[in-house]
Amino acid sequence: MSHSDTIPLHPSSQSDIDEIENLINADVHSATVLPARPPSPPRVSIPISHSPSPLPPYQKVHPSASPPPVVPAVPAAAAAPAGSSRIGISSDAFGSPPDTLTEPVWDTVKRDLARIVSNLKLVVFPNPYREDPGRALRDWDLWGPFFFIVFLGLTLSWSASAKKSEVFAVAFAILAAGAIILTLNVLLLGGHIIFFQSLSLLGYCLFPLAIGALICMLEGNVIIKIVVVSITLAWSCWAAYPFMSAAVNPRRKALALYPVFLMYISVAFFIIAID
Amino acid sequence: MPFCLQPTGENYANPRTCFFHVLFKAAALAFYILSAIFIDSFVIIFVVTVFLAALDFWVVKNVSGRILVGLRWWNEIDEQGESVWKFECLDQESLARMNKKDSWLFWWTLYLTAVAWIFLGIFSLIRFQADYLLVVGVCLTLSIANIVGFTKCRKDAKKQIQQFATQTIASRFTSSLQSAFSVV
Repeated sequence: MSHSDTIPLHPSSQSDIDEIENLINADVHSATVLPARPPSPPRVSIPISHSPSPLPPYQKVHPSASPPPVVPAVPAAAAAPAGSSRIGISSDAFGSPPDTLTEPVWDTVKRDLARIVSNLKLVVFPNPYREDPGRALRDWDLWGPFFFIVFLGLTLSWSASAKKSEVFAVAFAILAAGAIILTLNVLLLGGHIIFFQSLSLLGYCLFPLAIGALICMLEGNVIIKIVVVSITLAWSCWAAYPFMSAAVNPRRKALALYPVFLMYISVAFFIIAID
Repeated sequence: MPFCLQPTGENYANPRTCFFHVLFKAAALAFYILSAIFIDSFVIIFVVTVFLAALDFWVVKNVSGRILVGLRWWNEIDEQGESVWKFECLDQESLARMNKKDSWLFWWTLYLTAVAWIFLGIFSLIRFQADYLLVVGVCLTLSIANIVGFTKCRKDAKKQIQQFATQTIASRFTSSLQSAFSVV
C-alpha cells in the first residue's frame, strides 16, 4: 500500500486513494473518516514517525506500513491529521487533534514520556536492535539527555560540600559541550552520524553514570564508591560502543571511541572525587 | 490603541493556548531577572530557568504552533539513515481561517523573547558572569530553534500555496479544455 510519490498525483486523486485505503484499514484501526477533508499529499508514515494533526475536525489514520518517500527537504503539502487512534504506536510526538487544551497536552506528554523510556531501553539495555545503530535511535529526542545531564549535575552539586554552584555549572557545561564536541569528532573523522541522534545517544548513555552518582551520594565509603562507579562506567561505555563504532570507518574506530571513553572516565573520577 | 500593528476586530480564538504560549516564556524571563535579587544559589536559577525555557520550547513546538498558526516542523530519520527536516502546514482554507490575533501574538512573542534573551546575554557578558551566560545561551538556543523552525515552515507554506494555486489553475484549465473538446 505505497504511494507512488515519484508521480505527483492530482490532489483529488490522492484523496481518493486515501479514502480507499481508509476503508480497507477501517476495521484494523477503527478510525472515523469525516467527509470534508483537504487534499492530502504523499504522506510520510514511518511507523515511528510523528503523526501530524493540526485541527479538530479531521480524524484519519495513516496506513502505518507505507514507506516514506525520499524527500530531502521537500515539505509535505497539506495536513493529513491522524493521531488519536495511533496511540498503540510508540512514538507519536504530535498528538491528537486538540479538542480541548488539557486532553491533548496529556496525550502528548504521555507519548513523549513513552518515547523517552523506549529510547532509554534501546540504548542502555540489551536488546536485539543494538547492532543496527541506524534503527536503534531513529526516534531521537533530547528530553532524556537533558534530564540525565541535569540530574547528574544536581547529584554532583549536592554531594559537594563547597562550591556547589561551580560544580553544577562545570558538570553541565562539560557534559553538554563534550557531547557536541564528540559528535563533531565523529563527523570530522568522516563518520556517518546524525548530529542530534548522536547528542541524544551520548546523553542517554549517561544514565548509568547518573545512577552511579546517586548511589555515591547516598553512600560514603570510598571502596564502595569506586566499585559502583567502575561498574556503571563499564555499563556506559558498553552502551555507547556499538553506535560510535558503527558510525566510522573501522580503521578509525579507536579514534572515535577514545574521546567518548575519556569523557566518561573523567565524569567517573569526578563522581568518586567529589566529597 | 497601544500598538498600531495590532489587528482589531476579532478576539483571540484560542485564549488558553495563547496564555500558555506566553506563560512559560514570561515565567522563564521573569524568574531569571528576579532571581538575582532573591535567590542566592546559581544551581536553582539555572535549573528552573532552563526547565521553564525547555517547557516553553515544547509547548510552542507541539501545541501552540499547531493551534495558533497551523504549522509544524520536526526531524525524522528515514530508511537510509539520513536526517530529514519536515515542515507541515494546514491546507489553504484552514490557514485562511486562522485567527489573525492569535498568529500576531504567536510571532511577536516568539521574536520578543529572543530579543530579550539577547539583551540579558549582553548584560551578563558585560558583567563577566560566565555561568549566567550559560543559562542565557541555552534559553536563547531554544528560542532561536523555534523561530527558525517555524519561519521555515511558514515559507514552505507560502510556497505550497503558490504551487497549489498554480496546480489548481492548471487543472481547471485542462478540465475546461477537455469539456470544451468533448462538447465538440
